[in-house]
Amino acid sequence: MKKTKLGRNRERIETIVYPVMFGILIMVLWQTGLLHKLLHTDDYILPYPDKIINIITDNSDKIMVNVWASVEVALCGLLLGSVIGYLIAIIASAFPTYGAGGLTIVSAFNAIPIVALAPVIINWTKDVSTVAEERSMVAKILVVTVTSMAAMSVNAYRGLTELPQFSDDLMKTYAAGRLTEFVKLRLPNSLPYIFTALRVSVPGSVIGALVSEYFAEYIIGVGRQIRENILIAQYATAWAYIIVACLIGILMYVLLMIVEAIFLRKRR
Amino acid sequence: MRKLKCILTSKPFVTLCWIILLIVIWEIFASVVAQTKRTPENVMPHLSGIIESVFSDKKINGSQTVLEMVLENAAATLSRAGIGYLIGIVLGFVLALLMSLSGVIEKIAFPYLMLIQLIPILGMAPIINAITGDIAVSRIVIAAILTFYPVATNTIAGFKAIEPAKHELMYSYAANKFQIYTKTMIPFCIPYFFTGLKISAPMAITASILVDTLQGGIGLGCLLSQSLKGAMTRYVFWDIVFFSALIGILSFYLMGVIENLLCRYKRAGGSGKKE
Repeated sequence: MKKTKLGRNRERIETIVYPVMFGILIMVLWQTGLLHKLLHTDDYILPYPDKIINIITDNSDKIMVNVWASVEVALCGLLLGSVIGYLIAIIASAFPTYGAGGLTIVSAFNAIPIVALAPVIINWTKDVSTVAEERSMVAKILVVTVTSMAAMSVNAYRGLTELPQFSDDLMKTYAAGRLTEFVKLRLPNSLPYIFTALRVSVPGSVIGALVSEYFAEYIIGVGRQIRENILIAQYATAWAYIIVACLIGILMYVLLMIVEAIFLRKRR
Repeated sequence: MRKLKCILTSKPFVTLCWIILLIVIWEIFASVVAQTKRTPENVMPHLSGIIESVFSDKKINGSQTVLEMVLENAAATLSRAGIGYLIGIVLGFVLALLMSLSGVIEKIAFPYLMLIQLIPILGMAPIINAITGDIAVSRIVIAAILTFYPVATNTIAGFKAIEPAKHELMYSYAANKFQIYTKTMIPFCIPYFFTGLKISAPMAITASILVDTLQGGIGLGCLLSQSLKGAMTRYVFWDIVFFSALIGILSFYLMGVIENLLCRYKRAGGSGKKE
């Protein structure tokens, strides 16, 4: 009994220690310049980690402005896309025959490259506002909306229709109306599926935000800064923005995990 | 009467209805745009105009028609996306295999596999371009990275989802490790593996087009940004948009078709985990 507990503890320690050791190894290789030799590059294009960290701390004000611009786009688009996606799923589940076919179309949208989507949407939103900053913002949000809509509608549709066995029969024996059935049965049933969708669309929304910034008129955002800094050969600054972009992606996912843990507490 | 209802509710018919609806909506908006805008082809041209531009034999840059030009650039972009895709598939599958063979490798690689999904690789495209120094190579590298992790995570999920009863059976046959892998593990994970392929096929194409936009030369993305800047007729832009959308969707379905051809025996259920 004691031995198995020890064994489990060892297992747990190994799960943490091995990846951390690997990470440290990479950092050491990077800082000592061995990584540069491996990738056949120099410390100008791939600066040392301490230099990148210095740039992040020195320019934190400017970086934060761009971070907020990107996060705002990602979050607004994610929210809008998820709400629309969920509404589509509700409509589709109310009219199953034609609804499911519509969902096939929506999921086909998902396969459209963002690169093709972004310039089209930017074209369409030219008249939204006379201020370049505002209309770029709207365009970027719409790109993220479209990309996060598909995951939500497909998953939510499954959540709304794949009910536990006999539960809809039970609802019928209670003579529950469609609204009651929706609120008491379908909505709670779809909750885990919503989070499945968000696990896909949260990282997707960050990518959508960064890529749509490339095509936007107004120059702001983490993704655009990476590109702009590389164009003027400021590789160290570009790397600082890349690190920040990675942190945004990771933090948003961690936040999602926390929210999910709170919402699905009773189910686990 | 029943037959008619059967046709009306059949899947292809429903999809067709939706496509017709989309076309109608597009045309309505295009008509509105055509009335109100000075240059409607920049915002939303009629579909007929786009189709016409594809088949017109007017030379736009002296030597090539629109179709020839788009196809030539698409060949360059897609071949590189394809090479990267293949490299990514092989790497992803090998990593998943190594992870399932060795506990240490699994423990090291698993958190990083989760982490790499959250990192916006497409945002890193310019810097990868700078490191490799060659646009063609960087396109392959990015397509490979984007392919690699969905394939790896889905394949490893497939390895893990195998029922213990199958392992027990193989054990009772005194099968060695090689036999266990070739007879049960790898055939079992194929549907999961294909889920990974389906997710990453459009991504590899997106990556390849995006990298094109960063630098001049040949490629769909490059042509796209030139057309946006007004270097040639705007219809080239629309052709590329529709072409890449079509390719993205087709690549997804192509993987499904290949999957059906490869493992016709297991169409029931196991479509793998969506990641």
